[in-house]
Amino acid sequence: MKKKVWLLLISLSLIPFLMGSTYNYSFYGNVIHSSPGFVYEADFHSKSLGINLKSPEYFAVYDDTIYAVDSGINALIIIDEDFNLVDSMTVFPFAEGVNPLDYEFKDGSFVVESDQITGLTLNKPEGIDVKDLGIYIADTDNNRIIRLNHSYEIVDVYSTPEDPVFETTSFQPRRVTVDVTGRMYVIAKNIFEGIVELSKDGKFNRYVGVNPIKLTAWEIFTRRFMTEAQKKKLRKYLPTTFTSIMINEDSFMYATAKARNMNAENTIQLINPKGIDVLNRNGYFRPMGDVQFLRSRHVAVDHGPSELEDIAYTDSGIYSVLDQKRSRIFTYDSEGNLLFIDGSAGAQRDKITQGVALNYFKGDLIVLDRIKQTFIVYRLSEFGNLVARAVDLEAHGKFAEASEYWAEILTKNSNYEIAYNGIGRAHLRNGEYKKALENFKLGHDTYYYSKAYKEYRNNILRDNFTYIMIGAGALIVLMVGRSIYKKRKRGESLLYED
Amino acid sequence: MKIKLAMQKFWYNFIRFPKYVLFHPFDGYDELKREKKGKVSVAVIFMLLFILLRIYTYLGEGFVINPRNPLALNTFDEFFSVALLIFLFTVGNWSITTLLEGKGTYREIFIVTGYSLFPVVIIGFPAVFISNYLTLDEIGLYSLAMSAAYFLTGVMLFMGILNIHEYGLLKTIFTFILTVVAMAFMAFLGLLFFDLIQQFLSFVKSVYQELRLRY
Repeated sequence: MKKKVWLLLISLSLIPFLMGSTYNYSFYGNVIHSSPGFVYEADFHSKSLGINLKSPEYFAVYDDTIYAVDSGINALIIIDEDFNLVDSMTVFPFAEGVNPLDYEFKDGSFVVESDQITGLTLNKPEGIDVKDLGIYIADTDNNRIIRLNHSYEIVDVYSTPEDPVFETTSFQPRRVTVDVTGRMYVIAKNIFEGIVELSKDGKFNRYVGVNPIKLTAWEIFTRRFMTEAQKKKLRKYLPTTFTSIMINEDSFMYATAKARNMNAENTIQLINPKGIDVLNRNGYFRPMGDVQFLRSRHVAVDHGPSELEDIAYTDSGIYSVLDQKRSRIFTYDSEGNLLFIDGSAGAQRDKITQGVALNYFKGDLIVLDRIKQTFIVYRLSEFGNLVARAVDLEAHGKFAEASEYWAEILTKNSNYEIAYNGIGRAHLRNGEYKKALENFKLGHDTYYYSKAYKEYRNNILRDNFTYIMIGAGALIVLMVGRSIYKKRKRGESLLYED
Repeated sequence: MKIKLAMQKFWYNFIRFPKYVLFHPFDGYDELKREKKGKVSVAVIFMLLFILLRIYTYLGEGFVINPRNPLALNTFDEFFSVALLIFLFTVGNWSITTLLEGKGTYREIFIVTGYSLFPVVIIGFPAVFISNYLTLDEIGLYSLAMSAAYFLTGVMLFMGILNIHEYGLLKTIFTFILTVVAMAFMAFLGLLFFDLIQQFLSFVKSVYQELRLRY
């Protein structure tokens, strides 16, 4: 019996070590323990798929199927929902009615059979997007985007867009995403103007999501006195470069960008169809990956802000970003609250060595690791599931039900400050302002606190209106009486100033 | 009767006279200087109240505009930052005005600095208290009150320096600029001094260590 108790105690004490060290940021910016939102579920790789992957670059999810591109073997890889290989293609034939002679192809980017171009090949493709309209592959080193239909035949090929920029820089698309009407948004290498928007026919439309550079007054001042040679020696001021884009059903584009110097404030953006960043940043910190990081070089620890490599969204406005530098996944809700931080660097099955892409797949999160050539599947933990459901219920306006979930979340993770705000919002709807105030204070939500406080104060004023008015009246009478009394005492006239 | 007299005296020293100086700077500072109505004790108490106000603001400011972590409050820091600033300003101003034919003594400069904190102290405490009962839309009123208080403090300090040294407008502005330079210079010297002392101490320490390890 005693032995059993000891065994139980020892195994219980091991639980924190087995859980790994997931964390989150408190309102005051301290790193605090948190429960993991996602846990390892499965992985699939070259061996389990039976194909020799070399350098998988990116993948897209469509209709419960995974479409990946590999720049090592220049292939499109299709994987079904049970993570078995469906097909792997390196040569794509033309669809009926498409005449290869209408296009100009780069040398070595096509297959010739009996003096006829019968198919196209890929050269280091780095991006893919799959929508109802077809499969769009960013064929990076062939300077083109290939559009396939769902039987993998070429429907159209979009080569270098007509913009003066591409007269000096070659068009090397890295990422492509397509909206419902077929407009393509492309991130190209060495293009700093922004995201290239192409029309349905591949004509150049405009640049969107341009990140303007702001020089400080001092920089502008010193630059005035510099010669051209001196200016050239300065660090180049380039606008932020985007690393990944993903468009949603409403044509709003989730985008990640590289941090400039130590400034990571705009590394996550939600670009509306007008081209303006409209991401909600109402959380404790701006969504930017890690909030606390070393600012100077260190022997053992990575310095600098998170390097966000990819972004993926799921239901009710939740989105995740992948930090390649520290192999972490940050999940935010639509308001910009940091929900979970998961993932860690390492070579074990559940860890990431060099994450390049992530996507939601039937509620799970799949991360593609380029060095391990592995897809790692993470599933929402019990805690993560509760949070996701609470957020979803709030998105549908069911605040009371969500509040029950938030309360349960707090029993699982009492460090989870944003849960108090969820409970507070339910109280606010119910008119229990005092309870709402307590919860908003715990959750540090000044906006809703202010709203609840206004109602609370109005109620108190309304209930005690008579007393307040009587008090104010009495005060006036007292003051007037006092001045009359004083004047009488001094023998002055009440009506005239002497 | 004694208590009543003491109360009247307190009321006069801490409220009536500073108020009079605030609204009648020329007459007020003249009386402060010539009739010795300004008191060092009052100045010191205003300075202490100002330090207290800073701590109260840190902890007690309304929730909607207070993002500060109460656990990170360091009362010693608050105390010494204000004390150091006042010390640097008074000494800096005194050394500059002595060279520029100012008529004020160090005691008067100190008193003026203390009295000029009157608006901040008198408006600050109630304003911070009331900020707890304001919503986000109304918090502008609080910020307005606080900026008005600091503005009045600036006015009082400026008029005080102008009057006790019997300067004109431009010369006062000029002395203020020079005072800031003097303050920066003193801060620099202080840092240099501490750094050198530190280096010297570590040198002595290492010599001692060396000797002890050898013999």
